[in-house]
Amino acid sequence: MRSERARHNKIIFSGTVGAGKSTAIAALSDIPPVSTEAVATDDTARVKKTTTVAMDYGVLNLPGGEKVMLYGTPGQERFSFMWDILSEGGIGLVLLINNANPDPLADLQGYLQAFRDFISGTAVAIGVTHMDRAEKPGLDAYRKKLAELGHQPPPAIFRVDARSRDDVAMLVKALLYTLNPGLIDA
Amino acid sequence: MSRHPTPPGQSLTALFLLHVGSMDARLIGLSVERHWKQSVRLASDLESARVVLVDCDRPGVDSAFEQLLAHPRTGVVCYAFHPRDHATRFPNRVILGKPLNLEALPGILASAAAEGARTIAVPPLRRPPAPATPPAVAAEAAAEPPPTLGHGVQTDDERDLCGIMEDLPPTPGQPLPDKLYFNPDDYLIGHLHRAVEQAASTGRSQLIAGLPRLIGVSSRPVPVCVTEFRANQLRPLSMTQLPQTAARIVGASSLAHITIHETTFATEDCLWNVAAWAARGRLPEGVDPYRPVRLRAWPNFTQVFMSPHALRIAALWVRTWASPVDIAARLGIPQRYVFSVYASARFAGLLERDAPATVTPPASRPAPPAATPPEPTAPPQRPSILSRILRKLLNAV
Repeated sequence: MRSERARHNKIIFSGTVGAGKSTAIAALSDIPPVSTEAVATDDTARVKKTTTVAMDYGVLNLPGGEKVMLYGTPGQERFSFMWDILSEGGIGLVLLINNANPDPLADLQGYLQAFRDFISGTAVAIGVTHMDRAEKPGLDAYRKKLAELGHQPPPAIFRVDARSRDDVAMLVKALLYTLNPGLIDA
Repeated sequence: MSRHPTPPGQSLTALFLLHVGSMDARLIGLSVERHWKQSVRLASDLESARVVLVDCDRPGVDSAFEQLLAHPRTGVVCYAFHPRDHATRFPNRVILGKPLNLEALPGILASAAAEGARTIAVPPLRRPPAPATPPAVAAEAAAEPPPTLGHGVQTDDERDLCGIMEDLPPTPGQPLPDKLYFNPDDYLIGHLHRAVEQAASTGRSQLIAGLPRLIGVSSRPVPVCVTEFRANQLRPLSMTQLPQTAARIVGASSLAHITIHETTFATEDCLWNVAAWAARGRLPEGVDPYRPVRLRAWPNFTQVFMSPHALRIAALWVRTWASPVDIAARLGIPQRYVFSVYASARFAGLLERDAPATVTPPASRPAPPAATPPEPTAPPQRPSILSRILRKLLNAV
């Protein structure tokens, strides 16, 4: 695991198309998020009109002028070359899964595999979105999947509303405590 | 386990519910009927009361106080969601926080009644300031305020929701105090847990009847609890000891009976919350606080009640087998916060209790150092970047 000092101050948001990555960054960022949205032309167009093609960018301003960058990866796999570039040196991964997708458990598996090296050196916290539209699979199904995939100790996984700053902040806090349960806020 | 704060033989405190809501009246009535027989009786009118209870948040509270002008020797106990907001409006009044701590209330009522009886009949505004604080309130005020780092409940609520129990010794050997434990069957959580188990084993929906409103549980297509209780009603109900015969579980073909402003919770979240509210920093009866256990998963913290430090407790407890006492020592926090998480996790089905044989027996393990982080800690003069981000989030949310 990298030392904390060697890491850049950035947190990566990734996940499936329509899971709410851009929304989550907008909810948490202290600046209006910078987005690279383009009109969706492929299967994504059935989910939403525009989609992120390069990255989303937001900032958490810390006391003393320090900044934590919030990077959102594009959801579509054809932009997956961006995932490694954006995650390089990140503190950890917030992974958002759209529960209304046809096979969200397969999505989970795919993203954990894609970020395997990054997660092994950092940590991941998982948010399941759109559970109001699709109640299955439930959180326990995700937990079982994580166990099958050998993720022990199990990462944090919560039901989230990406529009809610509280929910997104909860994911980030869980990520920080996963990295270090002994953290104190002083 | 003692459940009677007032010693037997002491005269009953005649309590009149001068200005309270129907739900509170029902809960207090249940408490009088079941647990306060030796200490409190309900008076039918103001004239025969020695003390009255007033909900400051309800409309018409000024009219209620006007009625009291003719009864200066009647004790008054008020309660409100934000007692401090009412302190200037109603000076010299005892104002408790909501939800009421029903274990401490009989003692507070008795003190207020005794204080009122000593009052000479003068207009309220000319009363000497700062009357004697009831012993229970004074004891609570003297208690050291717990830290709020867990960013679950605020300090005002922490005592009500996690209690004020002192830590146990770091190693076993001494008798455990009765007050460490609660009997789930005395609370809603016992009934709810049984209903959930029956729904899971039979595949049939179950209803908990006999309470002021219905609670239904269903295991299909996903486990849910449906209830006519609003969240702010469910919490005080969960904290109240219920008569054994008050609730009964009945099978149902569906939950269509529950139609009035129903609220739906994921069963796991509902069990977590109801257990936390019943536990109030205690453990379920029979639990060995020195036995290693582990969380099999993180609770759904975006939806469930968070006791102080719950995130830190979960982060540590999913990665290691450790006893509740051990977890508290490692994080350097009061044990009652860990007991709260334990109780919730147990009823929510998130606890693994069969530790592998390789786990070190607790009795032979020395007390671990406080707040042992898995990574090197930052120099004390400069918090780590993780701490600085955390501080930002705690302040921002």
